[in-house]
Amino acid sequence: MSDAHTIVVRGLRKVYRSGFFRIPFVGLDSLDLEVNPGEIFGFVGPNGAGKTTTMKILVGLQNATAGDVELFGLPHRDIRAKRDLGFLPERPYFYQHLSARELLTFYGELFDLSGNVLVERVESLLERVDLASFAEAPLGTFSKGMLQRAGIAQALINQPRLLILDEPMSGLDPVGRMLVKDILLEERARGTTVFLSSHVLGDVELLADRVGLLIKGRLHGCGTVKELLGATTHQHVDCAFRLKGAIDLPGAEISRDGDLVQVRLSPEQVNETVDRVRASGGQVIQVLPTRSTLEDLVAREVLRSREVAP
Amino acid sequence: MRRLSAIARNTFREAIRDRVLYSILFFAIGVLVLCLAVTEITIGDGEKVVRSMALGAIRLFASGIALFLGVGLVYKELERKTIYTIASKPIPRGLFLLGKYVGLMTVLAVELALLGLFYTGLMVLQQGAPTASVYVSWILLLAELGLLTAWALLFSSYSNPTTATFFSLAVYVIGHLADDIALFGSQAASESVQALSRIVYWLLPNFEVFNATDRAVHGLPIPLEQVLGALAYGVGYSAVVLALASVVLSRRDFK
Repeated sequence: MSDAHTIVVRGLRKVYRSGFFRIPFVGLDSLDLEVNPGEIFGFVGPNGAGKTTTMKILVGLQNATAGDVELFGLPHRDIRAKRDLGFLPERPYFYQHLSARELLTFYGELFDLSGNVLVERVESLLERVDLASFAEAPLGTFSKGMLQRAGIAQALINQPRLLILDEPMSGLDPVGRMLVKDILLEERARGTTVFLSSHVLGDVELLADRVGLLIKGRLHGCGTVKELLGATTHQHVDCAFRLKGAIDLPGAEISRDGDLVQVRLSPEQVNETVDRVRASGGQVIQVLPTRSTLEDLVAREVLRSREVAP
Repeated sequence: MRRLSAIARNTFREAIRDRVLYSILFFAIGVLVLCLAVTEITIGDGEKVVRSMALGAIRLFASGIALFLGVGLVYKELERKTIYTIASKPIPRGLFLLGKYVGLMTVLAVELALLGLFYTGLMVLQQGAPTASVYVSWILLLAELGLLTAWALLFSSYSNPTTATFFSLAVYVIGHLADDIALFGSQAASESVQALSRIVYWLLPNFEVFNATDRAVHGLPIPLEQVLGALAYGVGYSAVVLALASVVLSRRDFK
């Protein structure tokens, strides 16, 4: 294995067993992954794909059935690796009897921080996640978004070199999401590696340098968004025409409102269709090439995996 | 050390911010006050009966609190998923468990000190200051609570509070009957029963080694060898049970 990567995963497999007969369920299968230092890596896929399982194995909450995992070139359970790790679980739960300040102080002490260093770090993080004015309130009174921001703060308390964030945008309002995005971009600028999962694929597309697509415990693609989308031929063109009479247009008709017809075409269909519309006395109103999004790609790959499933 | 202390302090803080603990404590103090009234309706040495009942009540409530808090100690962390953010930090699971244990033992020591203070006040008002053996018996009681808590923690690290309570209670009751089990076993006709009773006797804790309440009630001194022996037994046995709990917790998946 190499220490040139922040995260190296080789042949990772996780089998759960449940029920009286211990029926096996494969959560992860032969997962290979490498995450480079200083990059934001988006880990995407449908519910139940194994994203959270992967993250839990990375941070040592679950044991792998097979395979190897290294963080910073060290076995992932090594205490030295964990010293440089910040983790935000999905829907974080914290001690409700603590205030935000007490919570961050507690987590700081778990990293052996003390004195002025700890106090300064706690106060600056409270400011950074916009919780300074609620620092003394018990976490039991916090909203979901405030808890999420407290969770981000605790993940940053040790100034980690690697951040593993499971659904960091969950439960946040638009302002909160913007705040978290800013934090992630600042962290990347600082050289921190960020490994995040999110169902908000627009955010992943915006933030991630590279993306891994996980479906049913297997990696279905890994690369930059451009590379992943470039591998597909599904870029399309949204067209709008004004047509008086009926005409048989190729492609899927999106809507028709009186004379106004909107269709989605493949790039190859555009010329022929425009010619036909004009020949029929119609008017071309819009020809808008539209790039496929990460969301389109994920949806398409998920549907395809269902088709090929036995 | 700082990490251990942080977990212990957090456990202590969580317990003392729990209103249920205060309810039990106030109830225990109420029972101690009621014990005084027994003098009026007792034939014979009423003062001795009061001491016996009050010390018994303290033992019962202290054990109850140890059991109540101990069985939920790890389970609550798993159920509320607060363990996720701790286990991902540079904290070995054994250290986490030890921190929780130290925190809970601090709670029990404070609670025992409060009950002891109240008992002392009542005795001073009614029949004069308690003898030193009362305080020594509480040191032994704390060692007993330590062992009970270690068992509760072991059960709590792999089962829910109901099951953990049942198992802990079973160990506690059997542990107080350990000498009887050994005695009856040695008198049994069947060799297999004798062997079984010997295994049970050596495997399960003997909580009676910590019981010095009778000597405390009668104001008799408790021999130093008995105290040191019981403390060594309690600390050693608790360490083994905690190590076992640590192994169990280390192998667990946090789903």
